[in-house]
Amino acid sequence: MLTCKEQVARSSDFLDGQLTFRERLLVRHHLMFCPNCRRFIRQMRLLQATLRIMPQAPVQDVDALAERLAAERRKDQ
Amino acid sequence: MAVADDAHLLERLLKGEQRAYKELVSQYQSAMRAVAYAIAGQRHADEVVQDAWLSVVRNLPKFEGRSSLKTWLLTITANAAKSRYKQNRREVLLDDLPSPHGTIGDERFSADDGHWAVAPFAWHQDTPEALLTEDELRKCLEHTLLSLSELQSSVLVLRERQGLELEEICNLLTLSLSNVRVLLHRARLKVFATVEHFEETGEC
Repeated sequence: MLTCKEQVARSSDFLDGQLTFRERLLVRHHLMFCPNCRRFIRQMRLLQATLRIMPQAPVQDVDALAERLAAERRKDQ
Repeated sequence: MAVADDAHLLERLLKGEQRAYKELVSQYQSAMRAVAYAIAGQRHADEVVQDAWLSVVRNLPKFEGRSSLKTWLLTITANAAKSRYKQNRREVLLDDLPSPHGTIGDERFSADDGHWAVAPFAWHQDTPEALLTEDELRKCLEHTLLSLSELQSSVLVLRERQGLELEEICNLLTLSLSNVRVLLHRARLKVFATVEHFEETGEC
């Protein structure tokens, strides 16, 4: 059986679908018996979802840039 | 974005419609900046994005829709960055900078049996929306993202915020899959440590 430390070391690969079938079974088996690691993985997933929706810095001067690019395009025609 | 949407937007872009460019910039500039940041570093990222935009406009008529518009834009950005500012990658990769709240490191586990010595702290919130309502935590997360090496933070942003596949990230940044996996994992553990610290202490 994996140790918790080994489970954590494989956690990103587990979440990204990078483990082999056998390795994935080992992780799942560990998670079945380890509430701490279940919590860890759950919170890792929550973190992924949080980063996904975290507001990004708005683009500065979109209008000016859009105007320049559109003009550049029309010049080429 | 779906292929049909790409095609429609492309048509308007080719005509030089300003609003179409506004949509394009608003939607893709963050992802382009993350690619530029990873390859050229913070100092040159903005210049690279500017270069990339001009190259995009020039090459639009040649876009054949064999990849998605997003992939095409990011490839142009990566090329623009590589042609001007490719950094010495070996150093950057090995450079694992300290993060404001550390990471989930060896000290969290018992040296004897590899089990948790300090178990993960249970977070108070269980949805991303709830977590982000805490202004302080949001700032704290931004701060941690900025503390990561340029490559670590870009890989994390491209994967989580931009939803790119690992393989796409490898191709864009010319990194091996194992390097991308390592960068991503280290970055996630540091950000995890930040949220844990905040949830435990209520401060950044």
